[in-house]
Amino acid sequence: MSDVAPKELRIVGFLCNWCSYGGADTAGVSRFRQPTDLRVIRVPCSGRVDPLFVVRALLTGADGVLVSGCHPRDCHYSDGNFYARRRLEMLKQLLPFVGIDERRFHYTWVSASEGQKWQQVVTNFTKQIHELGPLHEKKEKAV
Amino acid sequence: MSTEKLKETIQKVFPDVECVICWQEGFDKLHTTPLFITTPDQTEKVVWNPLCVQNLAAYLPSMKGKKVAVVVKGCDSRTIVQFMQEGLIDRNNVVVIGIPCRGVVSVKKVLAATGQQPIEDVKLSDGNIIVKTLKGEKTLAIADVSPGKCKTCQYPTPVIYDFLVGEPIESDKPAESVYDDVREFEKLSLAERKAYFEKEFGKCIRCYACRNACPMCVCQDSCIAETRDPHWITQKMTPEEKMMFHMIHSVHLAGRCVECGECERVCPMDIPVAKLKKKINSAMKELFDYVPGVNPEDKPPMYTFNVDEVKIKEHKL
Amino acid sequence: MRVGVFICHCGSNIAGTIDVAKVAAETRKIPGVAFATNYMYTCSEPGQKEITDAIAREHLDRIVVAACSPRMHENTFRKTIEKAGLNRYFLEMANIREHISWIGLDKELNTNKAIEEVAMAVSKAMQDKPLFSSSFKVNKRVVVIGGGVAGMQAALDCADGGLEVVMVEKSPAIGGMMARLDKTFPTIDCSICILGPKMVDVAQHDKIKLYAYSEIEEIKGYVGNYQIKIRKKAAYVDWTKCTGCGLCMEKCPTKNAYDYFNFGAAPTRAINIPFPQAIPKKAKIDPKYCRQFTKGKCGVCAKVCPTGAINYEQQDEIVTEDVGAIVVATGYGLLDQERLPEYGGGRYPDAITGIQYERILNASGPTSGHIIRPSDHEEPKTVVFVSCAGSRDKSVGVPYCSNFCCMYIAKQAILTKDHIPDSQSYVFYMDIRAPGKGYDEFTRRAQEEYGAKYIRGRVSRIYPKGKKMIVQGADTLLGTTVEVEADLVVLATAAIAADGAPQMAEKLHISYDTFGFYVESHPKLRPVETNTSGVFLAGACQGLKDIPASVTQGSAAAAKVLSLFSKDMLESDPAIAQVNNNACVGCLKCVKTCPFGAIVEDKLRDGRTVAKVIETVCAGCGVCTSTCPCGAIQLQHFTDNQLLAEVSTICQM
Repeated sequence: MSDVAPKELRIVGFLCNWCSYGGADTAGVSRFRQPTDLRVIRVPCSGRVDPLFVVRALLTGADGVLVSGCHPRDCHYSDGNFYARRRLEMLKQLLPFVGIDERRFHYTWVSASEGQKWQQVVTNFTKQIHELGPLHEKKEKAV
Repeated sequence: MSTEKLKETIQKVFPDVECVICWQEGFDKLHTTPLFITTPDQTEKVVWNPLCVQNLAAYLPSMKGKKVAVVVKGCDSRTIVQFMQEGLIDRNNVVVIGIPCRGVVSVKKVLAATGQQPIEDVKLSDGNIIVKTLKGEKTLAIADVSPGKCKTCQYPTPVIYDFLVGEPIESDKPAESVYDDVREFEKLSLAERKAYFEKEFGKCIRCYACRNACPMCVCQDSCIAETRDPHWITQKMTPEEKMMFHMIHSVHLAGRCVECGECERVCPMDIPVAKLKKKINSAMKELFDYVPGVNPEDKPPMYTFNVDEVKIKEHKL
Repeated sequence: MRVGVFICHCGSNIAGTIDVAKVAAETRKIPGVAFATNYMYTCSEPGQKEITDAIAREHLDRIVVAACSPRMHENTFRKTIEKAGLNRYFLEMANIREHISWIGLDKELNTNKAIEEVAMAVSKAMQDKPLFSSSFKVNKRVVVIGGGVAGMQAALDCADGGLEVVMVEKSPAIGGMMARLDKTFPTIDCSICILGPKMVDVAQHDKIKLYAYSEIEEIKGYVGNYQIKIRKKAAYVDWTKCTGCGLCMEKCPTKNAYDYFNFGAAPTRAINIPFPQAIPKKAKIDPKYCRQFTKGKCGVCAKVCPTGAINYEQQDEIVTEDVGAIVVATGYGLLDQERLPEYGGGRYPDAITGIQYERILNASGPTSGHIIRPSDHEEPKTVVFVSCAGSRDKSVGVPYCSNFCCMYIAKQAILTKDHIPDSQSYVFYMDIRAPGKGYDEFTRRAQEEYGAKYIRGRVSRIYPKGKKMIVQGADTLLGTTVEVEADLVVLATAAIAADGAPQMAEKLHISYDTFGFYVESHPKLRPVETNTSGVFLAGACQGLKDIPASVTQGSAAAAKVLSLFSKDMLESDPAIAQVNNNACVGCLKCVKTCPFGAIVEDKLRDGRTVAKVIETVCAGCGVCTSTCPCGAIQLQHFTDNQLLAEVSTICQM
């Protein structure tokens, strides 16, 4: 939990460098306002995202995880997001089985020119996580 | 009778291979143990009965390079097919002796039914197992003490073999029943499911027996649970770390787990480790119409893709 | 480890909504951070000097710059730290401008977020390892796929630049779509007259090797070192003997073969030379229609051929060419009329497509340039042109504009008046798109000088009535429906991706969009490059365009190839995957999942099987890393440890 709780929850985002990170940049350039909760981890491709990164994040303190890549067929590396799509869909079905609400994990496709879409994704997902509330009990800050 | 036929088949196969993997009597009457036949006289020790629970196909990847024969039940044979899909064995170097099976015995269940007493004698007849301990004799129906996998077994006859010892058996269990336990579990609420896994995995002592017994786990000494590089998990005994280990194992087996049940059989803490893997398998079936270990030409779904995925719809917030 | 952190103000872009001094102060507290400061414009010369000075003074070994997006200045700062003696991959950037200061106004929240993003970048930087490029030789030959105007331009420019060029064209002759046109807008130049000399140049250039009626079978290798297998399709005519005299075509008894060159505007013979100016001017037999192939008896062409060039036993032949770069100029296709049922769906002989009309207008076409109705061969007096037949129509699956139809309709209207002075043309349009030099004036000429009546509205239905075709549409400027009785209807059918475009893209390892057009590196700044090194695009295959734009791209692609080949050795990108042989168990899952085929099986001296990465092919996507269960193959600069460090830093803050 961040210092500015309860204003913010911990949302981690894995963004592919070529499309979604670019889309987030475009949203920034266009000054599209977004809630501040999201923390971005840049990856070269959504195919680089091992579903276990998402699990690790959710188990160690994240309240929500977002993965975003190029639209299928537009992957900078041809096939990376095809693998991502399969693996992340599998994770989406597994998470509720272990008692984690599947709405805490969202994967989507945002291209470098889709600044508006990025703003919507971030705003709506942050709202969704706030509605679900924190996943972990508030930890005492380590001295 | 089948044991005699099996011994005959093994003797026939033996000259062509360096080793035959089968079962022999274990340290007591309730247990069997794998037998690696390298000289013809060892054939005497071969046994075949519902106590032959071990998945012998698990030894194959470590014997790549040698010509080996292995005896497999239906569930074990799926392991061989999965190995073929992943290129982990050379099919030309493996002689598969298939043996149809009507179900095995869960040693844990027998011990639970007989009060965890030391076993004096075991007799098998007519679908029953008669166990003699210091406290007396107990007759149990094999169907009552078989592991979960036998109750929904779809492949009583091996799906691949070079020799079949006995007549093929058709499955009498409906195909939809395979994931009944997953569906039952999903009737619980999110909070109940979370509590269940916290309780079960809370028992885990990170012995890694489940990983060691799993035939698809070929990473051996390179397993990321133990090598610390990459640092996926630490050695802290916290619920998160234990959960992480089981999630890693299950996700690494996505689309590869042939439900041989070895993981649950060997867990010393009686944790239902196979539950997560079954859930993933049911997702694989639903999303990609894929069943592991059935068709050697299949590609495991997590290592391939379709440009258009019919069953995956884009998620909207 | 001594990490140096530089927080940029970027003027007030960042400092306006983030307390940069506080970020620097908090960052100094992180173990491992030896130095943290803030500066006004870090990317400026004095700003970069701050960094190089600090590296020397504070003995820094990893650098984090918290500023704009790494997509903007990562390379800039990499060069900076390299000048100061550090490996360029010891740099990490935290995006606190596009991702923080520009998207919110709450200073407290922004500052906190910046502190956390910088902390993540620091934990990633601490795991950065030095990476070094290796050099590899480049084969200075180029293959141009497609013999249309863009491909020919690229080939000629490369050849004139001193390179050896291999051109592969799938149809029997080069020239592409431009060879089929009668005249070109806006100058009404005769198309084949301006194209012909270029075609001859290509055929006669001593540095260009032309494979016509051939297709790309397989592409192996990587930039600088491709091995291309080309399938020379069987024409059943020995082209070393064929002189193009055309006697076979004259005598062939089969007169109903589909004419690919004329888009079926009229039938042709089973053995044919596609058009009089064809290069190569050689005959080819279409086995689908030839009686010798379908019925087993004829052989007329073989009998009359003066050089004995006919060979019914000819087989496809595979040849290999080694090249260093590939230019893709595969052009476009046209929507089948079948997809437009409201316009007859191709059933009405007098409702034809723009290209078919173009062939009819052409003096060397099937009607020798006489405009006649396909049904009764009479001269039409009323010709109706329908713009956007399929284009800009989501229901047909073509939501985009086909780029050149407005212009060619104006041209065809002008030519119709030229050919038939007492004709009247009508053009149904939605908009008139005439952006080029002289283009708008041209469309006005069609209306003012040549009397074409332009009706702003869409056509809802076309159907025959007696000898006429009734065209029902709207005139939105008058606010009424209209009906025109036409003798001939010309549909400007939508231009679509070329046949087989997705399959070619897969062979090349390049991406294509939903419509089949190839994806360029950057739509504005890198229109002729792809994200696969060594593969360049030219012409309509990258996006529909007219002739001058295609020629421009042909030259542009050639310039890119020449610049790629300007050095003898190329440097590989070192941020690629690496295998730790000690951890690799040889399961080879990475080999099967690599999108570029960059990983192969290897045997170590002790007999163990491991995976091996071909450095020059690896594009750095990381799919292998997320596939490997034991973490033996790691994408450098984005290793599991680095991403896990970022996750653990942010989840435990």
